[in-house]
Amino acid sequence: MIEFGILTDRMSELLGTAGVLFVVAVMSFFYIAIILFINVMTFKKKIISKGDDFLLPEISYFLERGKREKQEDSFYISSMPDYAANGVICCVSDGMGGLPDGEVVSRFTTQTLKEHYPLDFDDPEATAAVIKDISDKVYEKYKLGSGATLVLVHIKDNFMHFYSLGDSNIILLRDNKVTLLNQKQNYVSAIIQKMAEGNMTTRDAYLDNRARGLIDFVGNYNCNILKTSKPLRLYEDDIIIVCSDGVTDTIPLEKLKKYVQPQNAARTSAERLKYAIRNKKNKRQDNYTGIVIKMERSFI
Amino acid sequence: MIEYYQFKHNGGQESYKDGIFLSIVPHMTFLVFYGSNMESGSSEVRKTLSSIFQGKDMELGFEELDKKISESLPSGSEYMLIRISKDSIQCSRYGGVEAKIVMGGEMRQLSNGFFGLSSGDRIVLGTASFFSFLSDEAILADALVSGNCSEWMNYMVRRISDINELSCGNLTALTLILRD
Repeated sequence: MIEFGILTDRMSELLGTAGVLFVVAVMSFFYIAIILFINVMTFKKKIISKGDDFLLPEISYFLERGKREKQEDSFYISSMPDYAANGVICCVSDGMGGLPDGEVVSRFTTQTLKEHYPLDFDDPEATAAVIKDISDKVYEKYKLGSGATLVLVHIKDNFMHFYSLGDSNIILLRDNKVTLLNQKQNYVSAIIQKMAEGNMTTRDAYLDNRARGLIDFVGNYNCNILKTSKPLRLYEDDIIIVCSDGVTDTIPLEKLKKYVQPQNAARTSAERLKYAIRNKKNKRQDNYTGIVIKMERSFI
Repeated sequence: MIEYYQFKHNGGQESYKDGIFLSIVPHMTFLVFYGSNMESGSSEVRKTLSSIFQGKDMELGFEELDKKISESLPSGSEYMLIRISKDSIQCSRYGGVEAKIVMGGEMRQLSNGFFGLSSGDRIVLGTASFFSFLSDEAILADALVSGNCSEWMNYMVRRISDINELSCGNLTALTLILRD
């Protein structure tokens, strides 16, 4: 059989080679495009996570005895070099007034938390278990004969968990608003709940001073810790104040804005707050301890 | 599963004029009515809403139900209607009733429309009067520390009580938590 063709063998060979080269070129194009796409997405992800990691807490604190004979407040701030890996922990414990060894219990509380650092940010139950264990140990020793409050914040990657026992304060200043994040664990809350359920107004709940007694504190057996199950998102210029009631009894919540302002460094705010309390010259000034945390951009 | 808790309080007034209406079957549908903001006619509106929520209208699709309610009520009635499924929420808002959602450590206001939900999301629906005593940060903090809907509501009520001893007129709100 005779085959007829327009193309010579040489031309067919050249066309075949060209076809192979074309396929290789197309495949290379797609390969390069895919690699570029992956690189761009990775870069974008890096940028986004850089943005998420952009805020750093700037921390300043004060600890003053006031007019009391003893310093029953105690605090702990974890070291900042560990921030990237473990976040930062700031806590204040206030020995309960009128009971012996308040200073011992508050110091034991913050010291034990220091020993347990680093705490797992993603496991608030584990942190609560540490606090509960501290409380149970204090109970075993004092059988409700002594105790302390505790407020603790754990900040990492623009988020914050908080934990509270008693009536110390965790305060958030955001957008010119002051908010007490942790509600006080006292009998007033229980009375208000009952009265509200009964469709009553709640004036009477505030009249009995005994109702301000704490329901929960460090030193109570199997205490009920107020804690976040999911972390609170923080933003630039948020200011968190972790403090004993010696601060808020003298400078009420709504007046804090006068001394603590986002345009100032944490150190300036802490200084202004400390001197504001000192200048009030309250004759019965309680111990006062405050940790001022300002979330700010810090490009390193 | 959707957990909910409702709070209705006279707030020192003789009568309660707001309302919370809900239907579980065949859809989880809730409506908060802001009657204390009306000069008159709130009881008629409540009767109308009550009959709608107890009748076959609850089988209607969300848009049809929304239309039916808006046509049945006098103009200017203030309420918010929401319908929740396992993974979404539909909202329709008229006047001074708001809904806020807590997700991912943040709180956002729910506007009219359809939104996706995931387990653990928390929603509070209430009258403007209820929200006027609460900052967004306070609502958010209380949501994050609460184990259930009633606890969340009690924390918010405590904050309102600290301001006005619950003598500020009718207070009405509903908390919802999506569970697995």
